Amino acid sequence: MAESRWSGKSTFISYFCLFWITGALTTHVPLLIWSSDSLAPVPSSAAGHITSLSELRTYLSSTLGSGAHTVLLFLQEKLSQDDFTVYGGVYGNKEDSAFKNLEEALQSQSAVFPALEWSSSSSVPSILEQVFGVSPLLLSPDALDDLKMDASVNNLLLISLPYCSQNKHCREELRTNDDVIGRVLKTLEAKNVPYTAMFTGLQPSRVIEESSFSAPVGRSLLQAPPPAPAVQAPIIFNSSGNPCIMLWAQNLNVSFSPTAAWTDLYTLTPTLSGSLCNETNAVLVLTYNGGITLSFFMSQRFFPVSARRWFSLDSVQLRQNAVTAAFSSRNIYAPAEYSYHCQFVSSFRDPLLIPANNNGSWRLNFVDFQIQGFGLNNGTNFSYASDCAGFFTGAIWMGLITSLIMLFIFVYGLHMILQLNTMDRFDDPKGPSISVPQTE
Amino acid sequence: MNGHALLYTGVTLAFWSTILIVGICYTIFDLGFRFDVAWFLTETSPYMWANLGIGLAISLSVVGAAWGIYITGSSIIGGGVKAPRIKTKNLVSIIFCEAVAIYGIIMAIVISNMAEVRYALLFTDVLLLINLTIFINWYSMFGAGLTVGFSNLFCGICVGIVGSGAALADAQNPSLFVKILIVEIFGSAIGLFGVIVAILQTSKVKMGD
Repeated sequence: MAESRWSGKSTFISYFCLFWITGALTTHVPLLIWSSDSLAPVPSSAAGHITSLSELRTYLSSTLGSGAHTVLLFLQEKLSQDDFTVYGGVYGNKEDSAFKNLEEALQSQSAVFPALEWSSSSSVPSILEQVFGVSPLLLSPDALDDLKMDASVNNLLLISLPYCSQNKHCREELRTNDDVIGRVLKTLEAKNVPYTAMFTGLQPSRVIEESSFSAPVGRSLLQAPPPAPAVQAPIIFNSSGNPCIMLWAQNLNVSFSPTAAWTDLYTLTPTLSGSLCNETNAVLVLTYNGGITLSFFMSQRFFPVSARRWFSLDSVQLRQNAVTAAFSSRNIYAPAEYSYHCQFVSSFRDPLLIPANNNGSWRLNFVDFQIQGFGLNNGTNFSYASDCAGFFTGAIWMGLITSLIMLFIFVYGLHMILQLNTMDRFDDPKGPSISVPQTE
Repeated sequence: MNGHALLYTGVTLAFWSTILIVGICYTIFDLGFRFDVAWFLTETSPYMWANLGIGLAISLSVVGAAWGIYITGSSIIGGGVKAPRIKTKNLVSIIFCEAVAIYGIIMAIVISNMAEVRYALLFTDVLLLINLTIFINWYSMFGAGLTVGFSNLFCGICVGIVGSGAALADAQNPSLFVKILIVEIFGSAIGLFGVIVAILQTSKVKMGD
């Protein structure tokens, strides 16, 4: 009996501690219900769940809906879970508990709502009123002895308990309340009245404000992120309805004299008339306002040694009004099914486009340039981009070759020197030592 | 396994496994087209090839000469202990070895005179570009250097070993020296062949307008 009481108490206390730890953001009050009859079990809920008023209403209807009940509501001015933790003797000091009668009462049929949703406009009395259809009768604890109750109808008795005031120590106050509860319950038991008692607070005594977790933990920039630059669509030439040539570049800069400013043709909208696309050749002609035309000439063929089809951008022609400049390409090629990409295609610095027929005053500079003339297969995505920059650049290969040659020579020499030995074929420690004649 | 063998085995293993793994990756990702010997030969600077030719011409020739002199020299010194009269006569062998080094340096100077650096900062000169892209020039220089270097290397070793034999034979019997000298002359001729071929190779190099 003592063990079961202790275990029940510790369960009750641990129940409150658990729910106190996982407190929630909205305000809530605990609600304890116990009865001399049977109570419906509280629907199981997750830890930290705040019971809403509608859930409470549902529960009360299911439990107390049928038959006549006498409901005794102990309404403390303020109540929170923390009160039980602080004053309930939960840290091993059971003798200091201020809720001895309450704990004893909860040993029998009881239902506990650790967190009942509370707002200033809602209250448990009003809910009970709605469920039962009777208005509560406010009692003073001593008046219960003289009260005559009719057990055949619903009775709702309200006993108001004070919360801690400045005059008395809080523990004493709560202990007094607990004594009141004990006395009232004894009176009811003496009268043999089956009852259902509830203990709750009119408002929460402590509202713990949870820190909001809206701000991200960790460092973050205060500066607003720069607006992402708008990415332009690629230029697509369709032949017989299907995409045939695709071109994309971050900039297509042209300049018509060494001192003139660069004109970025990619920002202008071109017309693609004059472009053609067939099995072996693809020509993309971009005509802009102002008489500027930029053409890309690509061709594709099968190379038997590599057993593969390759395409190359053979030349780029720039025309302004009547003057045409052609730039022949150097090493702009890729397998035919892939696209060609190069970060920097220019005619003056590490040139990939060599001016073929002008004196070099017109200049081209394409930045982040990607082109595909064959093998699009009705899609509008570029195929794998064969980049102009490989894993090892030419310079890296040169360094590797010369250093490997020197390393090889060094290792060879080292090997030779390390296997030099003094000759010991004719050493004879027991024989006579060699004699060197002074004269011939 | 001694230390040398272990080291060499390790290096060879690393080399071949690198090649194998890189090759497998290239095959799997269909990037085999990236393995491009032609790209390598055209994209590397032609000056590297020319200078490698020059360097190899002189260095390999000197290695051959040095090797030959070391072989002959140690024999002369060793034989001269008991027969000091061989010292002066056998210097001829040393001179034959030295000649190999002289061939090498002559070729190196000839080739380096051809490797004119025509360098314009602005890459707009089409003729300059054409000059640089006539790879036959640069590969001829590389080839000539390689030719003269390797032939002088083996010539030097050959003359050295024969000269060593001549010294020791001379120490034993003075009449043998002249006969072995004839063998040495044949050995020296092969170095000369290398020089002739290298001259032929570089005669095609035309750097100019």
